Amino acid sequence: MFNLTGDLFLQAIVSGVLLGGVYGLVASGLSLIFGVLRIINFAHGAVMMLAMYATYWLFTLLHVDPYLSILVTGPAFFLLGMLIQRVVIEPNRFAAEHNQLLLTLGLALFLENLALVLWQGDFRTVRPAYAGASFTLGEALVEVPRLVACGGAVVMAVALFGFLRLTDVGKAIRALAEEPEGAMLMGIDVGRIRAVAFGIGAGCVAVAGALVTPFFYVAPDVGESFNIMAFVVVVLGGMGNFVGALLGGFIVGLAESLGATALPGSLKQLVVFALFVLVLLFRPAGLFGGGRGR
Amino acid sequence: MAAEVAGGLALGLLLVAPPFLPPYFLEILISVMLFGYLGAAWNILGGYAGQFSFGHAAYFGIGAYTSTLLFLRLGVTPWLGMLAGGALAAAFGLLAGYLSFRYGLRGPYFSLVTLAFAEMLRVVAVNTKAVGSSLGLVIPSREAAPIDFVFGGKLPYYYVILAMTLGAVWITRRLERSKLGYALRAIRENEDAAEASGVDALGMKLRAMALSSFLTALGGTFYAQYFAYIDPSITFGPAVSIQGLLQAIVGGAGTVLGPVVGAFVLTPVSELSRAMIRGRAGVDVMVYGLVLILVISFLPNGLMGWVRRRPAPGRS
Amino acid sequence: MLLEVDGLTKRFGGLSAVSGFSLGVEAGEIVGLIGPNGAGKTTVFHLLSGFHAPTAGAIRFKGVSVVGARPHEICRRGLARTFQIVQPFVNLTALENVMVGAFNRTDDPAAARARAGELLEFVGLGARRDTPARALTLPDRKRLEMARGLATGPELLLLDEVMSGLNPTEIEAIIGLIRRIHAHGIALLIIEHVMRAIMALSQRIVVLHHGEKIAEGRPADVARDARVIEAYLGAEP
Repeated sequence: MFNLTGDLFLQAIVSGVLLGGVYGLVASGLSLIFGVLRIINFAHGAVMMLAMYATYWLFTLLHVDPYLSILVTGPAFFLLGMLIQRVVIEPNRFAAEHNQLLLTLGLALFLENLALVLWQGDFRTVRPAYAGASFTLGEALVEVPRLVACGGAVVMAVALFGFLRLTDVGKAIRALAEEPEGAMLMGIDVGRIRAVAFGIGAGCVAVAGALVTPFFYVAPDVGESFNIMAFVVVVLGGMGNFVGALLGGFIVGLAESLGATALPGSLKQLVVFALFVLVLLFRPAGLFGGGRGR
Repeated sequence: MAAEVAGGLALGLLLVAPPFLPPYFLEILISVMLFGYLGAAWNILGGYAGQFSFGHAAYFGIGAYTSTLLFLRLGVTPWLGMLAGGALAAAFGLLAGYLSFRYGLRGPYFSLVTLAFAEMLRVVAVNTKAVGSSLGLVIPSREAAPIDFVFGGKLPYYYVILAMTLGAVWITRRLERSKLGYALRAIRENEDAAEASGVDALGMKLRAMALSSFLTALGGTFYAQYFAYIDPSITFGPAVSIQGLLQAIVGGAGTVLGPVVGAFVLTPVSELSRAMIRGRAGVDVMVYGLVLILVISFLPNGLMGWVRRRPAPGRS
Repeated sequence: MLLEVDGLTKRFGGLSAVSGFSLGVEAGEIVGLIGPNGAGKTTVFHLLSGFHAPTAGAIRFKGVSVVGARPHEICRRGLARTFQIVQPFVNLTALENVMVGAFNRTDDPAAARARAGELLEFVGLGARRDTPARALTLPDRKRLEMARGLATGPELLLLDEVMSGLNPTEIEAIIGLIRRIHAHGIALLIIEHVMRAIMALSQRIVVLHHGEKIAEGRPADVARDARVIEAYLGAEP
């Protein structure tokens, strides 16, 4: 089964690591939302998809470079995230856990199909001039857009990490994640922080979306695959464990691409799912611990 | 008293009116029944036992593929193939359930793992030539052969799904009043307190899973025979999983009539939305998403849950 | 001996919640379990009822070891418990709550309903049969939990601070209820902080401190024990 040649193996490593960085960024946002709001945001992938459409339209209609458009889409989706949290999620914060899950599911269904209705199912692409640029690293081919995406994702994740450690708002977010009741007693505006956390999650996933458009496709269902990957990464890294999410992203990216070398067709997804199930059963707190567990 | 009369009237209409309905309405009614049926099957595990499966498509698909393959490859009548599919689905459900429950997966973690199992089956189906891969399986059209679950017109299919739905509702009602029903609701409310009261949580949840998955699989066979075409994304895809749980949640999870009521409300809403915005795929699901958000926000116990909150004299 | 506990130990990581705890309860006895907060009393209950597995030690109920048994199995054998923070099935009625326990002794819904009804009357909740548990007051919820535990047909009932949060009148009523339960031959192991109640009810008292038994004996003797007084230094009389 494993007829891996050296260069195939190297290529798989390169692809896995590069895409894994993006998975890590997407998962970080999801992990943050879980850590603060204690909900699994099923609509995470849908928001990413919307950001990709925004990037597409900015590129196609106004010729804005996808990476530059982050300056617009990042903050815009941060605000959108805050709005969604205030309007849909906050009013239901005392609802039963499974109901909150269904809430984000409803949101996902709504957003994905809104895109389908507005822009239909055709695949669209964003291909700036540098889309095909690549270089070789030993025997492996490194595509520049993928490299930029991974780099951008890591930079964003590090920036987020710094934000959480160093700024007042960041510290308030961490306080709320660790000790909800204590945070309230300390005078932290819990409602605002919850909205900000969701907004940051949305902002992260929007940045990730913009970063992948040059080498991915844009369609209403593109968020779904990232959604599943994000869940897997977050469970692997530990729900609410921010650094774990980034590391988990690389692990999952590698698992997927190594799986692709061994298994034909889309069966590579089985590797990821199997990993997911195994972690859920045997180490639900995540490989690195620090997660909330069952 | 009024409720019984209304119920009897509704049942009478469901039995007698369909032969006189125009074909379009009959089709809608069949959809309503199928979704209501799937909702009722989901409801046993989700509404009563409180275990929210997001991957019931796994059992639907197992049912559809088992009976269809047995029919196409071995000539086994789908009436029997249905039972084989149900048994296979129940076995899979018990395995998935045992792994999940034994390792203490609850709440969203359980939901995620069921999603993963369904997706895994879908990926396997897509990549297996023997079951038709992405192209799926077609049941070639022939003349009516009731013994092979193939009918000439739509009406017989309607009566089959009506019978299945009534059966599912009856099973739910019996369940609610039985020892298992009380055990499941206790588990739903507070699993630890249930254990402390002598309820074997693992055993009871597995029973609910077996029943729920068995019934769901039968629905898969019906779908295959009615539409005469199945493929991995239709049968194992998230759409089927969501349909089942949507009817139950909107209509009232954990109630006997909830899923059917939910189907009677959601299906016309979906048809209406598609009629209003023609030619655009996804309008109906968009509306589903909105309805789900609204129901969770304002009627978290669903329609039947809201109706039953009215003070009722001495219900025991 | 109905319940025999021998050298029971529970460690969480490096922390010993319970060490070397030994206890015997005869059929029909009332034994009180007291100790300062954090002494490990509820942990003992979790160990006896199967919610935690002991790190070491033996637990025998009616002569058979129950270590490793699941909570529902232990309940089936006749050892029932209540929780320190009441755990009703909030969306079920009081009757339905107790029926869940009653099903421990019968498979027939009608029999379970009848038994549940009797027990609700016994604890004084007859008028609340059809009230959803979420609408019950705290004292009523405590009675409900006791009724549910009794419905399982126990020979030994573990009561965990059933009097906390109750006013003196309610406490008197619960003391009466406990005496009536005892009159039916059911053994009781009671954790309580309301000293006068537990001193009055118990035939024997066991004192736990930092997970270890520091005294055991008749209420009057335990009350005078120097180690006990020291453990409770500053605590209520």
